[in-house]
Amino acid sequence: MMQAFILAGGFATRLWPLTEKRSKPLLPLIGKPLLTHIVGKIPQGMQITVSTNATFAAGFAAWKETHKQPITIVVEKTTKDTEKLGALGAVAQWIRQEGIIDDVLLLTGDNYFGFSLKDFLNTYHRGIPIIAAYNIGDTEKAKTFGIVTIKHKSDNPLSTSNIVAAFEEKPTHTLSTLVSTGCSILPHETLPILVEYAREHPDNIGGIFEELLRRGKRIDCFIFNKPWFDIGSYDAYLEATRALVPPGKPVIHPTASIDEESRKNLAGSIVIGAGTMVTHSSLQDTILFDNCRVIDCVLDRCILDDECKLHGIDLAGKMLRSGTTLTNTPLP
Amino acid sequence: MRRHQTLVALWILSDAAIFIGTYALAYFIRVGWILSTDFPLSKLLAVIVGVTPFWLMILLALGVFHPLRNQKTLVTLSHIITATLLGVALFTLGYYFRFTAFFSRLLLIEAFFLSSIGIWAWHIIMQRIIRHILRSPPLSFPTLIIGATRETARLIHTLERQRSPLTPIGILDSRSVREERIAGVPVLGKLNILDTILTEKSITHLIQCSNVEHTINLLSACRMHDVTYMLLPSVLGIMERDERIESLEGFHVTVVRPRASWWSFFFI
Repeated sequence: MMQAFILAGGFATRLWPLTEKRSKPLLPLIGKPLLTHIVGKIPQGMQITVSTNATFAAGFAAWKETHKQPITIVVEKTTKDTEKLGALGAVAQWIRQEGIIDDVLLLTGDNYFGFSLKDFLNTYHRGIPIIAAYNIGDTEKAKTFGIVTIKHKSDNPLSTSNIVAAFEEKPTHTLSTLVSTGCSILPHETLPILVEYAREHPDNIGGIFEELLRRGKRIDCFIFNKPWFDIGSYDAYLEATRALVPPGKPVIHPTASIDEESRKNLAGSIVIGAGTMVTHSSLQDTILFDNCRVIDCVLDRCILDDECKLHGIDLAGKMLRSGTTLTNTPLP
Repeated sequence: MRRHQTLVALWILSDAAIFIGTYALAYFIRVGWILSTDFPLSKLLAVIVGVTPFWLMILLALGVFHPLRNQKTLVTLSHIITATLLGVALFTLGYYFRFTAFFSRLLLIEAFFLSSIGIWAWHIIMQRIIRHILRSPPLSFPTLIIGATRETARLIHTLERQRSPLTPIGILDSRSVREERIAGVPVLGKLNILDTILTEKSITHLIQCSNVEHTINLLSACRMHDVTYMLLPSVLGIMERDERIESLEGFHVTVVRPRASWWSFFFI
């Protein structure tokens, strides 16, 4: 038996103001919440638990209502960044409180992965932890993740020869660009180790793999080359959208309205949410959330949260908070 | 009516009394400590009482009664002098129109000096009283600072030293900040709690000292919460405090001019 546990307890301060009223996993990515993309990949029938904090609990409860799968929302009683249990601490608390004795499919709610979870699960050998890893191709970027070193490497993602030789969480120096992607399976035998380790290191989710290696446990690695994005910042969010929405194929909600002039002036990756209206405007690599009004504007690499109203504005590289009204007032 | 509005109203009324009082004093200094029948005090008082509302309007138009304005500056003194000079002119004209007569020029000069000095001194005293009251709990202007920088510390120290009515109650920053307090003001957290802080702490003023990339969203939050937004020029990279806000064909622009002689200001 296996249960899925999705970490969604962060406050996502780097994505302020988009995360002012919603958690990062509930940010829309190509028209639907990031969490919906993740849950959609989990095999039917698997029990899913989403861990969040008190600030965003209502948003997750509303999101849960839109899904038929068996989903439990676990709420940490924290409302501030400084009060957080820590990612590993949250997993440990859930294991302890619920008395989990199944294998755990551990997922981070702010990661988008393009590979099939079915392939990942097929690669899993009962009793052997496994992590999904991605070659990010840049050592500087790699330093911000857990670095995986492989003993024997195979290009076949289903290969059983990919065994982890070392794991280092956010190293200051690395030559490897193979990074852990926040998708792993922890067999039920390893859960007591996790709970014990989390007491001292509640924040260090990657540290559990270092600990398992220290204790001589074998860890398998599933290396994939499908798209993967850790959506932790404005740049990463825009990069994910650019990768998933090809130029010339904008994602426009059926209830959005765009005049012909604006349609001709859509360039790059465009996502337009429900109820949004765009007239006499030019958009490039821009995401408009729901119920925005954009009239006579030039927007480049912008993300507008719900209910924004812009008239006669030129903007580049901006995220606007929900309800922002900007009107270029004519001169007296 | 809010506390600071009540105080400003009292300040305006007290100014009117002092303005009239300085003219009465000038009368006694000039005429002697008697009530002259040749030049009755009642005539002077009738005219000065009539002139006082107009004189107050000049002061109001110059923004002298703003509670955040520092009265101990040359700019404020020059505005008061301008107003009292116009007051003398209005009084002279008013007296002539009402009684078809001129009178002692020396009295006008004395009235001008007495009203200028008297009003400025009173404004300095009132500033102390008003600031003391506005800073007493409950704070009249709880202020939120954005950005935990050395400029923030300098600003807080200055506000404290000048006993400004703006009282910083907390600091937010887009990044994690090690310090728990800056210049005695607590660092409350990151910008994700901005909305909560603006509401819970009844913030009236927000001063942006850093995080230029968030200007547009800070302004948006201020507009939604009816909070006055202020921006330190250093956020834009203007560090030397020699900027001016001017109008360029209707556009408000921040101007930093090359250093030049003081009189070059008049010729741009």
